[in-house]
Order: sequence, then C-alpha cells, then structure tokens
Amino acid sequence: MEETYAVEMLNITKRFPGIIANDNITLRLKKGEIHALLGENGAGKSTLMSVLFGLYRPEEGSIRMGGREVSIKDPNDANALGIGMVHQHFKLVECFTVLDNIIMGVEPSKYGFLQKAEAREKVVALSDKYGLRVDPDAKVEDISVGMQQRTEILKMLYRENKILIFDEPTAVLTPQEIEELMEIMRGLKAEGKSILFITHKLNEIVAVADRCTVLRKGAYMGTVDVADSSKEELSRMMVGRDVDFAVRKKARAPGQVVLEVEGVTVASKMHKNNAVKNVSFQVREGEIVCLAGIDGNGQTELVHALTGLVKPSAGSFSLRGVDMTRDSIRERSKLGLSHIPEDRHKHGLVLDYTLEQNLVLENYWKPEFQNRGFIRFKAVREYAQRLIEQYDIRSGQGPVTKARSMSGGNQQKAIVAREIDKDPELLVAVQPTRGLDVGAIEYIHRQIVAQRDQGKAVLLVSLELDEVMSLSDRILVMYEGEIVGELDPKTATVEELGLYMAGAKRKEAV
Amino acid sequence: MEKTKTRNSLLRNAGVQSLLASLLCILIGLLVGYLVLLAINPAGAGKAIATIVRNFFYYPSPSAQMKYLGSTLVKTSPLLLCSLSVLFAYKVGLFNIGAAGQYVVGAGASLYCALALDMPWYLCLLAAVAAGALLGALSGVLKAYCNVNEVISCIMLNWISLYMVNTLLTNVKEYSSPYTLTLASTNPGALIPSLGLGSLFNNNQYVTIAIPLAVLVTVVIWVLLEKTKLGYELKATGFNKDAAQYCGMREKQNIILTMAIAGGLAGMAASLLYLTGFEQWSCTQSAVPAMGFNGIAAAFLGGLNPIGTIFSSYFIQHITSGGAYVDKTMYSSQISDFISALIIYLCGFVLFFKYALNNRLDRRAEREARAAQAAANQEGGER
Amino acid sequence: MALLVQYTLIFASVLVLVALGGCFSEHSGVINIGLEGIMVMGALGGALMLNFLPPETSAFMVVVLTVLAAVALGAVYSLLLAVAAVSFKADQTIVGTAMNLLGTAAATVFVKAMNTSINPNNVSSTIQYIAAKKAFLVKLGGFEFNWFMLLAAIALACSYVLLYKTRFGLRLMACGEHPSAADSVGINVYKMRYAGVLISGILGGLGGIVYITAGVSEWKFENGVAGFGFLSLAVMIFGQWRPSRIALAALLFGLFRALSNVYTGFDFLMALNLPSSVYNMLPYIISLVVLAFTSGKSRAPKAEGIPYDKGQR
Repeated sequence: MEETYAVEMLNITKRFPGIIANDNITLRLKKGEIHALLGENGAGKSTLMSVLFGLYRPEEGSIRMGGREVSIKDPNDANALGIGMVHQHFKLVECFTVLDNIIMGVEPSKYGFLQKAEAREKVVALSDKYGLRVDPDAKVEDISVGMQQRTEILKMLYRENKILIFDEPTAVLTPQEIEELMEIMRGLKAEGKSILFITHKLNEIVAVADRCTVLRKGAYMGTVDVADSSKEELSRMMVGRDVDFAVRKKARAPGQVVLEVEGVTVASKMHKNNAVKNVSFQVREGEIVCLAGIDGNGQTELVHALTGLVKPSAGSFSLRGVDMTRDSIRERSKLGLSHIPEDRHKHGLVLDYTLEQNLVLENYWKPEFQNRGFIRFKAVREYAQRLIEQYDIRSGQGPVTKARSMSGGNQQKAIVAREIDKDPELLVAVQPTRGLDVGAIEYIHRQIVAQRDQGKAVLLVSLELDEVMSLSDRILVMYEGEIVGELDPKTATVEELGLYMAGAKRKEAV
Repeated sequence: MEKTKTRNSLLRNAGVQSLLASLLCILIGLLVGYLVLLAINPAGAGKAIATIVRNFFYYPSPSAQMKYLGSTLVKTSPLLLCSLSVLFAYKVGLFNIGAAGQYVVGAGASLYCALALDMPWYLCLLAAVAAGALLGALSGVLKAYCNVNEVISCIMLNWISLYMVNTLLTNVKEYSSPYTLTLASTNPGALIPSLGLGSLFNNNQYVTIAIPLAVLVTVVIWVLLEKTKLGYELKATGFNKDAAQYCGMREKQNIILTMAIAGGLAGMAASLLYLTGFEQWSCTQSAVPAMGFNGIAAAFLGGLNPIGTIFSSYFIQHITSGGAYVDKTMYSSQISDFISALIIYLCGFVLFFKYALNNRLDRRAEREARAAQAAANQEGGER
Repeated sequence: MALLVQYTLIFASVLVLVALGGCFSEHSGVINIGLEGIMVMGALGGALMLNFLPPETSAFMVVVLTVLAAVALGAVYSLLLAVAAVSFKADQTIVGTAMNLLGTAAATVFVKAMNTSINPNNVSSTIQYIAAKKAFLVKLGGFEFNWFMLLAAIALACSYVLLYKTRFGLRLMACGEHPSAADSVGINVYKMRYAGVLISGILGGLGGIVYITAGVSEWKFENGVAGFGFLSLAVMIFGQWRPSRIALAALLFGLFRALSNVYTGFDFLMALNLPSSVYNMLPYIISLVVLAFTSGKSRAPKAEGIPYDKGQR
C-alpha cells in the first residue's frame, strides 16, 4: 500500500521560556497537495515549521515520513529527507551571486575547489523547466525581491527537495507577482511536490490550497478541506471570534493643507540612482493619505527625509506653511510632526530602557520632565502611568518593565501612545501594524482613524493592500521613487492598484 | 519555601548578580595566577600569591602598613578615574581603550605646566583634563564623522601621544637621568595639597586631597549618568543610536562629548598621580603606561557601576602594588598585570554567567510552579 | 636604498600575514582585536625555538621548526578568543583587549622566569636569538632576503584561493555575512567561526615571530608588539577585507614603518632635522589619516562582532 502522507507531525509541543509556542499540534501533509497553515502573527506557525526544518527541537511529539519515525536535528537532516523551506526573511547572502546562494551548503567541488560550471548548467535547466526567471551571475543585493524569492525556490529545487515549505511568501509581492507565484506553486504540485504554505491571508488559501490547518495562540484548531469551507469559517477558526475587517469611518471633507511636499529628491544609500525622484504631494486636515507601493520603491527614504533622518538632495517640506526642510528632527517634532517608525526595534524603542523611559523618549527635554538638566522622575512616572492606562499598554511590571520583555503588540501600542499623545499636526505612520495580531491591528487602526476624525493629517505608509484600501482616503502609489498614480479607494480595485505598484500603468498628471 | 523565595529574588537582583560575577572573576583570576606561579616555581608559589593579596601587610609594623596603604591609595585614585573614563564611554556604547593615551597626554600636560610654565597645581590639573578631553574628542570626531572604529583610532593615538609626550617632557628632564625634574625641587606650588591627610597615613607625603577628589568625581559621574537629562540621552545613544537619532538626540555631538568627558577623566587621572610627586615621568619609556589598561579591568570588574569601580579599582591597585613585593629571584612583578588581564578576560563571560543564572532560576521556578500545580490537582482529586 | 626596500618588504610581510589573519577571522564574523596578543605569543614560541635549537641545526630545519612553533602557539592562544566569542558569546572587544594585555603579561612573566632561573641576576625580558636568526637570511648584494618575505607572498596567494575559489571560503564568508542563512543550509556556523579564528591565530603567530626578528636588536617582551596588531587591522580595513588590496596597503604602511629604521641613511630626510620620534609616530599617524578617509564606505562583513545564537532568528 502506498503511503498517502508525505510527512506527519504528530502531537508536537515546543516551549520557550515563559510561553508554549506549539501545544500538542498535529499536521499531516499529503503527497502532492498544497496544504495551507493558517494563523495570526504569533500563533506558532513559524515555530512549527522550524521544528520540521530542524531549526528547533520539540519537547514532545514525533515526525513521521513514509510511515517511519524520523529525527530531524538540523537543516542538513531536513535536506537529506527532501524538505526545503523558503523563509519569510530570505536567507540569502547579499554580496554573493544568485548561483553562489543556490549551491551554498551543497557545493559541487573537487578536492575542496568549487566547480561552478556544472552547477550553473543545472540551475539554468531548472529555471527553464519551472519558469523561474533569474540571472545566476547577478548579486543578490542588485536584484528585485521577486527574483530573490525565485532564487530561494531554486535553492530547494536544486537540492531536489520533495516537500517545499513557503513561509509567508506573498507579503513582499505585488498582486500580479502573487498570481505568478500561485501559478508556480500549482506547477510544482503538478510535478509531484508536496507544498506547505504558511499564511494569514484567506484569499490566497482559497485560491491555491487543497487543505488547511489552523493554529491559534499555539494551539491546534483543526484541519479542513478548503473546498468545503468558507473564508468566514476559516477566519473564525483563526481568530476565535467573528472579525469585522471593515474599518468604520465617517465621511469627512478634508480641510486646510497641513503637509506640503514639493519636488523632493533623495539620494539612495544602496545604489547610484536616486531613491526618491522629484516627488510632490499634499496632506490635508482630516484625511489619511496612503503611500502604497512594493517595499523598496522609495517610501522609506521619503519618510526618512520628511522626518529628518536623512537630508533630501532637492525639494522642500513645509508643515502648515512653515518650511522645515532644514530643521533638525527635534525642531520638526516641536512643529507638530509625529512619526511611528517602520522598524520599532531599530528606531522606535530603546529596548534596554524601561517602558516609562521609552514613553518620554520624545519629550524628556521638556520642562515638564526635567529641571535644570535633572530628570523629574516623579513626573515621568505619573505621565507613564497615565499613558499606560489610557492606551491599555500591558506589561509585566508596569512603568518599570524593560521594553525588551514586552510583546510586539504592546511595544507598538507604547509607540503609538507616545506619538499620538504629543497631539501632532501630522502623524506619519509607517507600517504601523506589521507583525501584530488581529486585536492589536484593529486597535491601531481605530487610533489612526480617531486622529483623522479629530482633524489631524495622517500620512500612512503600508505594504498591506487590505490596510491601504480600507484605511485611506487617498492613495498615492510609489514606483521606483516616483508617484505614478493617485487613486480613490472607494472606486479603485486591488487589481488596478497592483498595476500601478508594478509600474505597468501610470498617470502622468497627478 | 519562603526562604528559597527570598533567595531566588536576591539572586535575580541585577546588583547581586554583578557582585557574584565579579567575585567569581577575582577568584578564578587568582587561582589561575597561583597555578602559573606553581608552574614557574612550585617552591614559592603559595607565598608569592599571598604576598600579592596581602600587599602592604607585607610590612610587620602597623605604622608601616598604614604608610603603604596610603601609597596604594595614592595610585588607586588615578586608576579610579581611568576606570570611570572607560565606564563612561562604555555606557554610551564606546570602548575607550584610549584611556591609556589620554592618561599619557594628561601626564604630559600637567608636568609641562608645572615644570616649564611654573603653574599652580589646580591649573596643571585643568590642563591635564583639557589635554585628555581634546585627545578623547579627536577619537570621537573620527568615529562620528569618519566612521573610524574608536578602538583602532585610540590605539594609534596611544602611541602617538607616548612619543609626543616623551619629546615634550625631554625639555624638563633631569640632566643625567631620563626622569623629569621633581616637583618638590622645581615648583612646590604644583604639588596637590595634603590638608593634613598625609598625617593619617603615618606622614605619607604623597597622600593628598587627590584621593577624596577622585571619590567626589565618581559621585558626580554617577549622578550625571543616573539623574540627569544628559545621562538619559547618552545612555539611550549607547543602547540604540538609531532610536536616539530618531527622537532628535544629536548622536554625533553626543559621541564627541562622551569621548571628551572620558578623555578628560583619564587626563585628570594622570595629574592626580604626577602632581603628588609620587612618580616622575621617564622620557625614554617605550611602552604606554598600564594605568589606562588597568582602568578597563577595574571598570568591568566593578560591574560598570561608578560606585562599584571604587572597590574594584582599589582591588586592582592592591594586587598591582602587591606584585611589587614578590620574590624577584623567582617571579616578576608582571604577575599582577597577568592576573588583572585575566580578570578582564573573565569579565567577557559575565553576560553569559548572568544569562545562565537567570535561565537556571527560570527553569527552577517553572519546575516549582508545575509541582505546585500538580500538588493542587492531586488535592482536588482526593476531595 | 636597498636597506629601505628590505625593511619595507619585511614589515609589509608582517602586516600582510597579520592582516590576512584578521581578514579570515572577520570574514567568519569574529572581530579579532586580540591580534596583538596573538603576535606576542607567536613571537614567544618562535623565539624560544630559535633559542633552544642546537647551533648545528640546518638552516632549513631552523626555519621550519621556528615557523611551526610560532604558528602552534599563536593558534592555541587564539582559542581563547574562539571559546569566549563563539561558544560563550562574550563581547569580542573586551575579550580581544584582555588577550592583548594577557599576551604581553604572560610572555613577560614567562621570559623573566626563564631568565632568572638560568641566572638569578638576569631580570631582562629578552630571549637570545640573534645568532640563530641568520638561518632566515640570504645575502643578495646589499639586500638581505628573508625567507619570511616568500612565506608572506605564499600566504597571500593561498588566502586568495582559499577565500574565493574553495568551498571552505564560500562557507566562511557566508558565516560572516549572514550566519542564519548559512545555518539554514546546514553549515555549522560555530565550526566555521572557530576555523576563522584559528587561521587568524596561525597567521598572527607567524606575523609575531617575523616582527620581532625583523629588527637588528633583540626584542623586549615587555613592549608587546608596539601596536603592530592594530596597524595590521588598519591595513585590513584599508584593504577592504580583500587579500589583493591588503597586499598594497601593507606595502604602503610597511614603507612608513621602515622609514623609522633607515631614515638616517637619507640625506634629504636628515636635512629636515626632525626628531626621531616623528618617524616613530609616522606609521600610526598615517594609519589614522588613511582610516579617516576610507572608513566611511567600508565593506566590513555584515555580521561581524555579533555573536551567533542558534535559538534566535
């Protein structure tokens, strides 16, 4: 009798200090199926896959392949068993070529010397067979995200893996690229590969998966046939309650201009071209303007120039008519600019400081919190306690908790509290919900809409199309450093947005 | 049950952990030092290590002991300031291995002002602070504006300072020896006043207000780091310079300011030693004085806490002075340099030690919690 | 002039060897500040071998055994860094600094103990090796060829091939750039980092013995190696972590170091009437200036200095 399962993970339990990441989870992957693994951020999907891939050892449970129990101690074991994985954050060495990255770990060599010619032939053949366009001799740092992902897929195919794990593969792609990836996955399935597809996006599951296993907060919620299920059912299993994805906003006419961006150009740190090219736009009172686009099309650099982290090479920013192009970060903050940064660990928080120290990061210098250079500790404590209460920031020891030990959602809440409580004229929020669970996402969306409803101007930068469509009043699409289109979310479709993001379509006069 | 709980929370206290780690470093350092002595010559090893640890107790009479305790303290105060220099920079994420060079220019500036320019001691001291601060700021500028790793620039500056100071002080050296002129004979006004402190240590003329001054500076540094806006900013920069920049702190200026303060401390350190007349500068020395490097040992051994460095500086100086008394026919005095270098090496493991300790405590707590849970369940089942 | 070329080449050899050592360590992801200490240890090993070899040993054997002793001691000593930085995830700067101080102190203690045990009145920290050292030298007219120059050239060529043409090099550099990527394809990051540090120990140790035998007089171990380990790091940075550019950088720095030995032979330099300390300072000043201009756009391995922890992703 032929075994129907390619791999079975039975009753897996994995603990980390303080939390149970996987609690008695069972997952059976059939041969030649696309099996989705659904769950929120932090539900334990990546941990489970890391167990399968040999990066973690589980405390309890077993993994069976072909009816036999197997032991996977490290990625080498996984590879020997034909398991390959495309990680969410690509595991590519940026200064190596595509070819070097593909062969790394299984390099063909003679007496230790690399034999790249034969490897190259094999890679070219594979990329033709599966329609995975790559340039084997290009350096990874020079190629697009889509091509990097294809490199990762080729890595698995080069190793002749039978079981392919895709960890959140669509987060960085345009709708068109996503469609292309789905096609590739169907092609791989047709070649007899078994695919595990980790995601929290229901549309993609419905589009491509045969079965779906759902995790919630580390626990197993069940496995369903996608054909017999609905998006609503899957969503309930994932979150544990009915979720209303729609963001409720009152209709509101925009008021006066708050932010005026004129002809801004920013040089790139990565390459010779400019990252932002001659960009102009306005943000008015009571509107949320969203900068949409694929990651790396100049949004980050534009925000850095706007907030003062880098200097633009041309153009100007003014806030309520005051030119702030040459102002320092502190002066911009005094003018009424708030910034929820893209990377909360890099810019947003001092992780080794306590929560209260982090909450005054933007205003510790005000007379309220310091007297002749000495910190007023009591005032800081009182202020922190008020924010903690008002914005419902949860932490182990209240104001004196180290920021490092807080959950991602609460860290983000602390940043949002700090930035909103400054009562800004303009709130710049960059990917404010990245990596958060549904509850925290809803909370942060409500806060942003509340700012808008109070008549504040909001500039949102987001890569999540759902967020872009539901939250914004106006969408500006950035492609290769330019604004290539302005859309109204009420009338535009996701497909249209995608065409702009991919640079396939552009409106000349904005 | 209660007892284990208080013990656990005591062990979790960061201060207690630092203290334990430091004691462990000292213990292992001395043990390895002893083993090395054993390997060199088993006959005198026990006696030698005892000599190092006993330091001034080497002398039988209490009055002589007092006197040489004074001498150890005289050298502790510059060491304390050097360790503060290292500590202060480290809090801001910079490794000031240049304390040694800043110490050298401090010595050069204070001795030149005293011997060539006839200045009073407080001006010489200020000159030393200024010279050290300038050199430190130079490393800071190179780091902030040219992205030069401060460790490498500091080492280069250490050697440059040594050759420069040797050349400069050749102008004020004795005719027949490589040593600089004595302060007592040339410019007694440049000697730091004793204000009667010397009489407490059996009329040790070198015991001056330099010692309480060093302690005072320590307290000032502690207040600066823990209680002020500047300290808050500097530490934030040290922990995460991107976040510091993001919230509008001027990162580059802070790096330069930090290195200037650190340099000033190391420069002052030198003046606190050379302006007591305890030592003369040798204009032919070909190695950077060890004081700045010992400052690294003291800073880390003190758990990077200004108050802790008071004790660790004393300890390092205690064994360094003690090293001078070992039997020269068998061992060299560098054995104490060896032990303090070993202690710095061991300090590299402190983070791991704390991590392992916390992990152990976590696991024990979890086990106890599970046992308590099981016990409660059982009780529930019996009912 | 021949003398200047000779000294330039020998000092450049030292810098090449030690900078390549740093290069391997950093490409694996470990910053090796402790090269200075490793050099002292290598120097100690080599000098002891020179001192204790019977005078009738053939020149070839002297060279081989001296190199082996220096390499062995350097490699063993570098384990101190590997264990602390790789296995115990210690702060690499603290450990490296400690190794520099420890190397000098340990060598001094050892040499002094050795000298006093032979003659209780001898408290110097030098080892006698001047006579034995002749084995390295070949007179070519006014130019003294040193076998170590050839050795450095061979090390340079081997390093280039090892880094860019072999499986080992590819894997080593992956560990310094993106260790978790290396881990995910089954490369043992810890092992590769140990290898990188050990190679730096081997090359650093070799550089140490070359350095102390380069001059005319016997070396005092109290002085360590006078910042040469750090000059080598500057050469490595100036050379942008690439063997070919490191070689050029080493020649430049070697030239300035050589000047302090031979400036008295040049009339125009003597005419300037500068104090000798200026020439002593020169290599350090040059390296500061060079670093100030080249560090801005450095291509250091991305993950250097960051301990790799398997559990964190």
